[in-house]
Amino acid sequence: MSENVHDRALQLIAQGRVERVPETDRVWLAVHLEECEFCGEHARQTDRALRLLRTAIIALPDGLASRTQFRVRLRAEELREHGLGRKLLWTIAAVSWALGIASAPWVWRAFEWVGHRTGAPKLIWEVGFVMWWAVPALLATGVVLAMWNGRAGEPE
Amino acid sequence: MSGPTLFFSALMSDEAKSIARGLQKRDPDLLDRLIEQYQYRLFRYLVYVTGSRERAEDFFQETWIRVLERGHQYDGKSKFEAWLFAIARHLVIDWQRSKKAQSLDTLTDPSQEHPLQLANENVPSPLHQVLSHETEENVQASLNKIPAIYREVLVLRFQEELQIEEMAGVLSVPLSTVKSRLYRGLEALRGALQGNTAS
Repeated sequence: MSENVHDRALQLIAQGRVERVPETDRVWLAVHLEECEFCGEHARQTDRALRLLRTAIIALPDGLASRTQFRVRLRAEELREHGLGRKLLWTIAAVSWALGIASAPWVWRAFEWVGHRTGAPKLIWEVGFVMWWAVPALLATGVVLAMWNGRAGEPE
Repeated sequence: MSGPTLFFSALMSDEAKSIARGLQKRDPDLLDRLIEQYQYRLFRYLVYVTGSRERAEDFFQETWIRVLERGHQYDGKSKFEAWLFAIARHLVIDWQRSKKAQSLDTLTDPSQEHPLQLANENVPSPLHQVLSHETEENVQASLNKIPAIYREVLVLRFQEELQIEEMAGVLSVPLSTVKSRLYRGLEALRGALQGNTAS
């Protein structure tokens, strides 16, 4: 029997345990394994090794599930608190922006009036108006960035 | 596809979608149930991949924390266990990278000449411990010779009974790579058996 025949048989033995083998190859292999002790023994040893792998039993550490469940619940609680804090921050930001937009015309007039009363240059009270808008937004951005930095070490 | 196959496929799909919905909501009762249900399979997989029970235990807990945190990423279109093993594997790879600045693949691919370093080489592997009860020394020695990267695919295929497509998802490699690793794993096993028989 040529070496190629055994190579083919060994390849089919492996293939048969990984994916479907065409019917003709399967029949050929079955016949070959009947005739060839060498390949037959390899097929048996491969099956035996895979059977051992399939049936290998690993003892679970005591209380693994309950300890994990406890840790997961603690983390869930942390995440829930983070979520509530974030929601609160966004709500405050949204309300603040809505009020800011709604009151903008009156605030503009107020800055204009103060500018006229004090004789300040137009640029000054305009900058003041912009600051009135920008400072809260900058503060909010600072808070958000600080929160992100604080959570940088944590997974998403 | 036959009737029963379709029925079970639909059932599994419903189960996966139900898990996905629960994970979106971070349902603690669902997580408790999943931890119970998959504890053995996940722990066994981690023991084989890390080679250490203690480390497997740490990764087991970290995996479930990650499941809680990233549960919204599971869409229920694939088997939950495939997604779970992928998360566990990524944690192990991250740990390997931080430890040795190399991926699990490079550490475990024999062609890279950096076989996976187990926690303590003097401690017999779980596989070794199981096989030590066997009288067939050839088989025992042969299985212990399988490099971790091949043992991993053998575990996913023959213990977890994942499909090759699912394994490709877990390992983030093409189907052809999964098949090639499986063939090589079996080949390594066969070669080791041959070597032991000859010696």
